[in-house]
Amino acid sequence: MASVINFKDFYYAYINEKLVLRDINLTVEKGSFTVVIGPSGAGKTTLCKAITGIIPYYMGGSYAGDVEVLGESTKGKRVSDLSLKVGLMLEDYESQLVSLTAGEEVAFSLLNHGFPAEEVKERTSKALEDVGLPGREDYQLDELSGGQRQRLLLASVLAVHPEIIVLDEPVSAMDPDGAESLYKLLSKIHQEYGTTFVVVEHRVEFVLPYATNFIAVKDGQIAAAGTCEVVADQVYADPELRVLLPELWQVRGELAAKTGAHFSLWRKPADAVDELKAQGFEGGVQAHA
Amino acid sequence: MKITAFSWIIITLAITAWVFILPVKAVATILVLQLVLLLYVKHNRMMLAAIGGLGVFTGMMVLLQMLFGSSLTVSLIGGLRMLVMTMAFLCMLSTTKIQDIAKTLVDRFHLPVEYAFMLTTALRFVPNFLEDSSVTLDAQSCRGYSNRSNALQHLLSYVVVIRPLVMRAVAKSETLALSMELKGFGANTYKNMPREPFTLWDLLALLVVVVLSSYPFWAKFFK
Amino acid sequence: MLEAKNINFSYRRGIPVLQDINCKINDGEFVALLGHNGSGKTTLTRLFMALDHPRSGQILVDGNDIVKMEPADLADKIGYVFQNPDLQILADTVFEEVAYGPRVKKLTEDSVKKQVDDALEAMELTDLAQSYPRLLSFGQKRRLGVASALALGPKTLILDEITNGQDQAEKAKMMEYLQALNEKHGVTIVLITHDMDVVRRYARRALVLTDGKQVFDGTPKDLFEGSYPVENWGLRRPLASVLAAAFQVSASNCHEFCATVAKEAK
Repeated sequence: MASVINFKDFYYAYINEKLVLRDINLTVEKGSFTVVIGPSGAGKTTLCKAITGIIPYYMGGSYAGDVEVLGESTKGKRVSDLSLKVGLMLEDYESQLVSLTAGEEVAFSLLNHGFPAEEVKERTSKALEDVGLPGREDYQLDELSGGQRQRLLLASVLAVHPEIIVLDEPVSAMDPDGAESLYKLLSKIHQEYGTTFVVVEHRVEFVLPYATNFIAVKDGQIAAAGTCEVVADQVYADPELRVLLPELWQVRGELAAKTGAHFSLWRKPADAVDELKAQGFEGGVQAHA
Repeated sequence: MKITAFSWIIITLAITAWVFILPVKAVATILVLQLVLLLYVKHNRMMLAAIGGLGVFTGMMVLLQMLFGSSLTVSLIGGLRMLVMTMAFLCMLSTTKIQDIAKTLVDRFHLPVEYAFMLTTALRFVPNFLEDSSVTLDAQSCRGYSNRSNALQHLLSYVVVIRPLVMRAVAKSETLALSMELKGFGANTYKNMPREPFTLWDLLALLVVVVLSSYPFWAKFFK
Repeated sequence: MLEAKNINFSYRRGIPVLQDINCKINDGEFVALLGHNGSGKTTLTRLFMALDHPRSGQILVDGNDIVKMEPADLADKIGYVFQNPDLQILADTVFEEVAYGPRVKKLTEDSVKKQVDDALEAMELTDLAQSYPRLLSFGQKRRLGVASALALGPKTLILDEITNGQDQAEKAKMMEYLQALNEKHGVTIVLITHDMDVVRRYARRALVLTDGKQVFDGTPKDLFEGSYPVENWGLRRPLASVLAAAFQVSASNCHEFCATVAKEAK
């Protein structure tokens, strides 16, 4: 499969600070739903910013190596041009909203890039529909709830039809219902438009049903990267990295190690229950030496 | 009956002249018209609070003038003038989209885009900051800062809020600036925004402006 | 001891945020307050802290009706930690930040130092005493928020979404601090959270609110391993509980589960 993002020997440090990313060699495949996991401060947000060209070009700092997006290096590109291909949603999505009404927000980027008025209207309407806010062009920002505002930002990202969307901890402050419904929406967009997704997440249980690939970041370096199957086994094998895995897979690894059984890749708790029962596992049984 | 932002700006600027050149009864009539307009557009608590706030402020100015020796009549007229001027801005802000006002300022009055955008940004983030400040005040209270004391201490408690608020504002503005950059904000931003259609109502409004502004000249004929 | 009697509350006329709430939290408890967004959990804790006052009903703290009190009066009985650590930072060094409360209450300089040192020690921030609070990491700022609330030696801590935005290691550390405070120093912990793992592992009592009404009051074990409609209440069962309930064992975390389950050797 074609790769849409390519890091080649990439190093980066913010101005006057230590290296945040080291020796990054990474590929993200087209159409994948890639999840980035790792402890706080590992460099995950910086990785997101590198994909969108914000670092090193907008924010400055020192770097080495190259980041390629859709076959072209991010070097020398304006971040506003890159944003037509790679959408970004940061954790503080509230501060990314620039306008006072929903319609203005979605249209903003389109107008700045010179799209004709008719097309702007059409795309705005479709984008708002896609995120579940149909017909709300004239809604003021304070008439929308927090979750709706996040969807509004997503609509403004979708309106330019990007090939890649990057999200940094989109559900960190949400309750379970909100988190589930956001990921359902992202999955719908993924299925419908084939957009490549790169999502940084701590609460991995919500994204597990949809993920195709994982990247584990630790201390500014890539500790593991690959499809779910590969990463689940590889990361479990390393006791230090194990804790980065979704809990469901840690259980999978632990039971597999203990009993030598083989399990398929569980996506939700029910999968685990079904397979364990099918394989004859029982409760209250002490492991024999 | 929609008037473009351009017309509104002209009207608002004209009103600041009218309060001085028109007879007091006319100015009072304008005030009544303004109140009718505002309450027709939006008669919620916020609107009443805004009008009330302006009223209180005007009242204070009147008292101040009287303190400095002016008679009651003079002070009241001065207060009326100020009220009408400030209400004019309130009317404009209540009936026109900020984006349209900003676009007019950029296109017709040659304001640089960054300054014009500050209008939107200010209105966009003021509610957020008010909310944030209330959290900081609450946090202060929860750590033992009593609100019972006299008014001066009460005022002082707001001072502590300023620092965290400013820090947060700076952090947020960095994200906002990044977001604007990503969205392609620049010299063309307002050029590409949809232009409001200039209608008959605008012509009418501008006609009224011309007539009323030239009052000193034709008033003589009616004396 | 916190008690709510027949509480009804709404912010504006019309939308009731809390309806007929009756609950009592005794000293030394570790309670998790759960519910969907807008269910009233934060509002209830704000009432306990006198940040708002109920329209009808009574709030009692240590047996006293707090209707005439304000948060400052309760600062030495209840420590309230808000969700956003940045908005609570009032001083220029970690030490001064924690000292804010004791200084406002006009304690002697020696008392202030002792209170601050104890609080910093409890949250392992002693080494950072002279650091600038805004340069701390997010996790450290959260700990600072807790330390600041502890400075006046309250017997109860109310924490609003203290584990949001933190990785597993930071979460575990924070919960260990709270557990130590609860078990070694008898501090009552009231935790507003939507992190179900944390609830199952650390809390001994769970109070669930839905649309302003109390729908559950019992142990996390019963809540998650029983047959309650937790999803309707906006909650999710933690993995350990789903597995434990399916295999009819008891487990408060996944390791426990793995230890009690195995393939029956043929």
